[in-house]
Amino acid sequence: MSGSAPGDGEVLLQLKNVRLRFKTYAGDVKALDGITFAIRKREALGLVGESGCGKSVTALTIVGLLPENAQVSDGEILLSGKNLLKSTPEEMRKIRANNVAMVFQDPTTFLNPVLTIGDQLEEVFLLNPERLARVAAKRRTEDAQKKAGTSGERTKKEARESSLAMLSKAEQRKVARELSIEVLKKVRLPDAERILDDYPHELSGGMRQRCMIAMALARKPDLFIADEITTALDVTIQAQILELLRELKREIAGSTLLITHDLGVVAELCDRVAVMYAGNVVELAGVEDLFANPLHPYTQGLMRAIPMIGRPLERLETIPGSVPDLIYPPSGCRFHPRCPMALDRCEVEKPELIHTGKDHTVACHLYEEKKS
Amino acid sequence: MTQTVLEVKGLTKWFPISGGILARTTNYVKAVDGVDLEIKEGETYGLVGESGSGKTTVGKCILRLIEPTTGEIIYRGQNITKLKGDTFRRIRRKIGIIFQDPYASLDPRQTIEAALTEPMKYHKLVESDDKAHERARELIKRVGLNEDHLYRFPHEFSGGQRQRIAVARALAMDPDFVILDEPTSFLDVSVQAQILNLLSDLQEELNLTYLFISHNLSVIEHMSDRVGVMYLGKIMETAEKQIIYQRPEHPYTHALISALPIPNPALRRQRVVLSGDIPSPVNVPSGCRFRTRCSYATDYCKEKEPPLSARQPGHLVSCHYELKMSTPIPITKTSRKI
Repeated sequence: MSGSAPGDGEVLLQLKNVRLRFKTYAGDVKALDGITFAIRKREALGLVGESGCGKSVTALTIVGLLPENAQVSDGEILLSGKNLLKSTPEEMRKIRANNVAMVFQDPTTFLNPVLTIGDQLEEVFLLNPERLARVAAKRRTEDAQKKAGTSGERTKKEARESSLAMLSKAEQRKVARELSIEVLKKVRLPDAERILDDYPHELSGGMRQRCMIAMALARKPDLFIADEITTALDVTIQAQILELLRELKREIAGSTLLITHDLGVVAELCDRVAVMYAGNVVELAGVEDLFANPLHPYTQGLMRAIPMIGRPLERLETIPGSVPDLIYPPSGCRFHPRCPMALDRCEVEKPELIHTGKDHTVACHLYEEKKS
Repeated sequence: MTQTVLEVKGLTKWFPISGGILARTTNYVKAVDGVDLEIKEGETYGLVGESGSGKTTVGKCILRLIEPTTGEIIYRGQNITKLKGDTFRRIRRKIGIIFQDPYASLDPRQTIEAALTEPMKYHKLVESDDKAHERARELIKRVGLNEDHLYRFPHEFSGGQRQRIAVARALAMDPDFVILDEPTSFLDVSVQAQILNLLSDLQEELNLTYLFISHNLSVIEHMSDRVGVMYLGKIMETAEKQIIYQRPEHPYTHALISALPIPNPALRRQRVVLSGDIPSPVNVPSGCRFRTRCSYATDYCKEKEPPLSARQPGHLVSCHYELKMSTPIPITKTSRKI
């Protein structure tokens, strides 16, 4: 939350000048045009923009799940110092299993319809038998301690030894199921035991999305990527999920990357916000700073263009034109054909991200002029 | 007193569910379950609700694109529920509709010109093809496109442009009442504002009456004069926009509005989070249909369905109790810079 914004905290993930294009029959879609931003430890960073601006592609690049026609031509993505773009598929698989978890917009497409929720959720735990053994051992000691009162010095030692022993398959399943129930309770699903035996189609959209979140959290990831996770839901269900995320934020030790086109969601949940337009990060600032003092003409336009409850307006201001075709992106600043304040140089020269204040950066020539 | 353009009385639409080997009707999806509406000349009536609440079905029943199960639709004093043939066609041309998905609502094999002139020809509004062309040229300019666009096909346009074409086509019949069924939910926010402004301009210029259907509470607030809140096929509360958004009296309206994330971090607030999901419209809860999610529900709500009754003139609420609830949205005193 805003009050506990982690200031200039340590960086968890750093994207540096990431360029990406999709090969298509119609030509190359220049989807990411040098993306640079960092996610700090324990913060919630919002990534906002309209459809086609590259928010989801950015997330897919981080987790290494790009389609085959995608080509990263430049840049690096550093997760705790390790370049993910240079990792092998096997390493990426491990990173997805242990470090970075992602939840997508439509839970229906990402849950396997022929497996129960339990099958899919328990698998997360079964992939890590050592952890299951540790958990089982810990439970045994706790039980033993309860029985023997608090004189548990010796039992602790025993437990440490027994934790090294592997569990049998049946035991593993049992522990995995217990852990699954716990994690489902954590995402406030009532009746967790029953839900484990349900198939995805037996659950509502909100419940499915909770299951997806549970699967992501089960791994205790360093980075939790939420890609438009409330978009497909109704307002009252969306409120439930937002409330859940807010509560979980206190529990999750990791960072969150929240991708959305809804500025309302960003205002409620994020510490910092990156605004994207046509494959570029155009502005990056703390959430309160961004809403009170948006600098980039696109951010300003976007905020004036949305109807807001409690802000009665005669007319909405509009951004002329529409989002450009990224096969033939505009030269220079990609926003210049729609920008009411475009200068001559905007057409030829791409603006760099510059600092305009404490923790507020913007990619716009207007502010370079002012500075110099 | 302004004239009533459209009145809907006791509208229901039950879709049968068939099952068993004989494919007999076993049950009904009660999509619309008793809706009354009154829309006045020149106003915009906003119909808001979550998915499955039946708002789109209401829109389609008014035009009789779906035949209502029971109820009456009265357009300018004339009951059109049972009209047939030419008489109905003459009335229907005064009611336009714009659908949600501009990618599905235009025929991909028809040029824009054909799409615009077809309704004019069908309704015999123009004497000759030349006149039809002329009118198509006027319309396309009126919605902010230019004449060249007439000879193109739908796939050559962006979503926003397509929705402009859909607007032009609805206007081709010279309607005075237009049903807007989620006209901007497929569009990006920067384009949404353009379409909303266009719709406002056209309303003023052509003195149109709108029924604006949307799940987006902010858009409804921006566009409407009066608002009706639907839940599971019924209207829970209807009133002037300001009352709905600032002093709602139905717990569902209150929860719905307070659930909306507001794009202003300074306004973070206590929200009412409803538990559970919308019940299935096949098994509507007994008594008050909202009681399963209502924190104020009592045993009485289980037994008796509350009628939609007037609290004040023009403010109708379907709840047994007069609840005192806080304002769902704090209004900022400090005006923001943007």
